[in-house]
Amino acid sequence: MSKDPHIRRLVRRETHSSRAVPSILTASVLLAASLWLSLESVLWLLKDQPLLASPAQMLRWLEELPGKTVPAGLIAAGIGVALLGLLVLGLGVGRGRRRRRSLESDRAAVVVDDDVIAAAVSGRVRLAAGLAPGQATTTVGGRSVRVQVRPTSGQPLAVDRVREAVDGELAAYGLDRRMTSGVRVLTEGAVGQ
Amino acid sequence: MRNTHRGLNRILLTLVGILLLGIGAALIATGTLPSAADIWTTTASSVRDQARSLAGTAPLPEPVRSWWLVLGVALPLVGAVLSVAWLASQGGGKTPRLAEQSEGTAGRTVVDAGLVSTAIREALNGNKDVLSTSVSAWESRRGTALHIRLEARKGASPRELTHTVEHLLRSTDSWLGHPLPALVRITSGPRTQISGTRRAR
Repeated sequence: MSKDPHIRRLVRRETHSSRAVPSILTASVLLAASLWLSLESVLWLLKDQPLLASPAQMLRWLEELPGKTVPAGLIAAGIGVALLGLLVLGLGVGRGRRRRRSLESDRAAVVVDDDVIAAAVSGRVRLAAGLAPGQATTTVGGRSVRVQVRPTSGQPLAVDRVREAVDGELAAYGLDRRMTSGVRVLTEGAVGQ
Repeated sequence: MRNTHRGLNRILLTLVGILLLGIGAALIATGTLPSAADIWTTTASSVRDQARSLAGTAPLPEPVRSWWLVLGVALPLVGAVLSVAWLASQGGGKTPRLAEQSEGTAGRTVVDAGLVSTAIREALNGNKDVLSTSVSAWESRRGTALHIRLEARKGASPRELTHTVEHLLRSTDSWLGHPLPALVRITSGPRTQISGTRRAR
């Protein structure tokens, strides 16, 4: 991880979500609602026909809401609004980590997608164990790299070499977070490689 | 690389989330507890009465009737303006010029981002591990930064790609005269999925 705060900031902003899309959506809804409210108030002041409901009608509707609606409907609406609130709150306070991570570099801030790392590790494993494409698949999670190897039928698989290849490749990247690696060898072999 | 104000986004989203949670909780309470329904009705009717009595004070000529009603129209308009401000704070910061130096009366030197962009793309053109390249310049607090995005071939080593780009950046540093902060993104994209691996077995 780079010591330069400017580079660190670049990496942090690239590996975490900016929350721009939910913000744009929320702001658009707020904008539409406030424009509609002000238009309705002006129409009501000018004693014109309301578009949907005048402010006075809205207040009366709010007042009579518990009396006119069945409790189950109120509860269902409340649960819906509360769930939406939880979702928005989660977006506000959540970590927002994206599926990419930073690679060590002494010149630039380098951020690599997790699936690029997974494909590279798979390729390295295939090369080390002499497998065909598709016999090694890698999943990169938050702090773990899981490699699944399907050996060729009738040929012994050097599991140690696979492990070495995975660890060596990960060590060469110098990722900003420590990754644990795991190799799983499937019992079913691939035929005719 | 965008100059989105992320802290503001999070704070406002948190506030909206808490508000929605509160409304939801109030609705659930009104549906389950009869006493909560009573509180709801009395609060709403007292708000209505207060609004009506306020509308009678601070009179203005017809058709506006009262300053309080002007305030009632102005509040949602203020909300609309704040929403527009929030919308406008998203994104931004892309710049067409990478560096600029003024030499007094002798003139100004401006280096376009296109120059470095073309140079880097040209240099990576022959690289078989790179499917596409895009280079852009972005304003940040500490001057202009370069953003290089590479689409990697399936199975390409990010370490090798990083070495290649570091080497390129060092040569651009030497002909620009000063190092630019740079962000390198190595991604997979639609072309990665259909491209085969380069290595033979």
